[in-house]
Amino acid sequence: MNQFLYAALLSTTPVLLAALAAMFTQQANILNVAVEGMMLTAAFVAIAVGQATGSVAAALLAALLAGLLMALVFGVVTLILHADPLVAGLGINLLAAGVTVFLLERVYHNPGGLRPDSFPDLWRVEAGWLKAIPLIGPALNGQSIIVFLAILLVPVSSIILYRTPLGYALRAAGEDEAAARAAGINVPRVRLVAVLFSGVLGGLAGAQLSMATLHFFLPDMTSGRGFLGLAAMLFGGATPGGAVAASALFGVAGAAGDRLQSGAIPNQLVLALPYLAAIVALSLSKAGVLRRVRIRKKVKATA
Amino acid sequence: MSTTTDLTAPVAADAYQETRGAALRRRVRETWSASRRPLIAVVLTLVAGFLLVVVVSDNPVLAYQQLLLANFASPANFGNLLMRTAPLLLIAIGIVFSFRAGIFNVGAEGQLYVGAISAAAVALSLPTMPAVPLILISMAAGAAAGAALAWIPGQLKVRLNVDEVVTTLMLNFLAMLLTSYLVSKPLRDPTAYGATSKPLPTQSFLSQIPGLPTANIGFLIALLMVPVAWLVLFRTPWGAELRASGSNLRFAEAIGVRAKSQIIRAMLVSGGLAGLAGAIYVLGTGHRFEQNFSPGFGLIALTVALLARLHPVAVLLTSLFYAAMLNGAAYMQITTDVPRSLVSLLTGLLVVLMTVEFRRRHRARVQKEAGA
Repeated sequence: MNQFLYAALLSTTPVLLAALAAMFTQQANILNVAVEGMMLTAAFVAIAVGQATGSVAAALLAALLAGLLMALVFGVVTLILHADPLVAGLGINLLAAGVTVFLLERVYHNPGGLRPDSFPDLWRVEAGWLKAIPLIGPALNGQSIIVFLAILLVPVSSIILYRTPLGYALRAAGEDEAAARAAGINVPRVRLVAVLFSGVLGGLAGAQLSMATLHFFLPDMTSGRGFLGLAAMLFGGATPGGAVAASALFGVAGAAGDRLQSGAIPNQLVLALPYLAAIVALSLSKAGVLRRVRIRKKVKATA
Repeated sequence: MSTTTDLTAPVAADAYQETRGAALRRRVRETWSASRRPLIAVVLTLVAGFLLVVVVSDNPVLAYQQLLLANFASPANFGNLLMRTAPLLLIAIGIVFSFRAGIFNVGAEGQLYVGAISAAAVALSLPTMPAVPLILISMAAGAAAGAALAWIPGQLKVRLNVDEVVTTLMLNFLAMLLTSYLVSKPLRDPTAYGATSKPLPTQSFLSQIPGLPTANIGFLIALLMVPVAWLVLFRTPWGAELRASGSNLRFAEAIGVRAKSQIIRAMLVSGGLAGLAGAIYVLGTGHRFEQNFSPGFGLIALTVALLARLHPVAVLLTSLFYAAMLNGAAYMQITTDVPRSLVSLLTGLLVVLMTVEFRRRHRARVQKEAGA
């Protein structure tokens, strides 16, 4: 059970970070398909820099910068040059896939991937007091620092969105652009800030993916986790709490898939679980099933 | 619909008679203003690519020559070019239909895969059937499978307003995993190395185009779809209704167009064409289903369709251009030290550059469109 929770947390984290990344831009009314590309670039840069320098700090920082750089391209193209966010986002993803494979072939002469012989371990948090926390304590123990950062970022992003002037401006820009402009908000700048936020979060997600346990990079290794994050964000109604709940659902589905892999059910069908869960969850939430359940609960509570 | 066309038709004809020269000039001007931006993006991308090749290669001119011109060096190369064009062309025409109807089908890759595997499964299960019915049934199976996969996000969009971008992206992964399962278990060729299906019966192979040893009639089928798509989109009531529901949903419904069923139909066409592309690949080129047979045709076709500004005739040009790049990349990799993934990099660059608004005066129009 503890092992399962550990695995679930491990597969939740990149999706959660991607969901938070997509949430910031969604609040500013930009559908951020580019998270996938930001993650992929960051995952590659983390391994490349880690191999070259042997330093975790350098690798992590480089990954964040890589995510930020892709976000900057996305932001400049969509906000300053007025490209369509959906198309530009897909373009960023293609660009990220192209650049990473090109570098793998040209610099590392191995299109199959980048597997350094030795790679510095990402900082892990191991402590006796963690184990003492009921239920999730043992699952937390020994996770990478990024997992803790991701959990911490949920309340932090909630505060940023709902308790700071920046958050107000961001949500206003998303809610009604004309009104926000009339209120003196610099809408493009606020949106650019949201996009850059998403870049840092996407960078963290990518770093977790390649650095936490695997220590190697494969072409297309994100395999839709950015899109899953996007789905989680939409399912969670673009709120931090909703993002956590939805990504945890997809994370558990992913971990359950890994668990079942050794069993009788074929590999591929099990790996499909999170994507299937995403479609079903989105449809159910749109169909109002959740709302009905919530209302019933409220009725029960008041009765 | 019919009464309005009857009233305006003679007037329009008279106007055309009077100002044929002016109309021609207007057409040229419109075509130029529509194609200017994609052309700028293509030129910028090719220049950026050349600069990159200069940095990484000792012989950049030879590399670019191989990339763009080796396609025409021999009939075999040219045939390969046409066979790369076929799936791009079919999928891109499908994407034109869906985008014109206002639904963003980015799930072509998945639709291509299910189409390919369905065609392969049907051809494998009817090994004794004569050639023509077998090919027709296999193609129909491929198109039906692609259409079925596209029908799901269409229904979810229309009935529950679920974002089709996310669902089609998710379905891509589901389709890839499903086909990967099918080809590794039930359809697997036990004698082959790796996950491929058994070879298809030989009578299901598409016959080649005379004079081009590597090309087959699959390309002609794709080519035929260009005028068909143009006629359907611009010269039939259905095409008009489809475009109306895409450009302004509320207006379309107000004048009695059932926009929702237009969206479903557009998705069926879009998925069906992608599935057909998969069937043609399997029957014509692959002769068996292989996992990872597509170098990302689905997303590249999206690029192709958008570069053509969603016009079925322009799609022919852009898909030929793109197929030339994809095909030429292989020759470039063989003769020079530039890896073929240069093209994937350039694709991303092109997509990003393509939608960029280079001039300020476009801004007002874009904002108006966004508001509508």
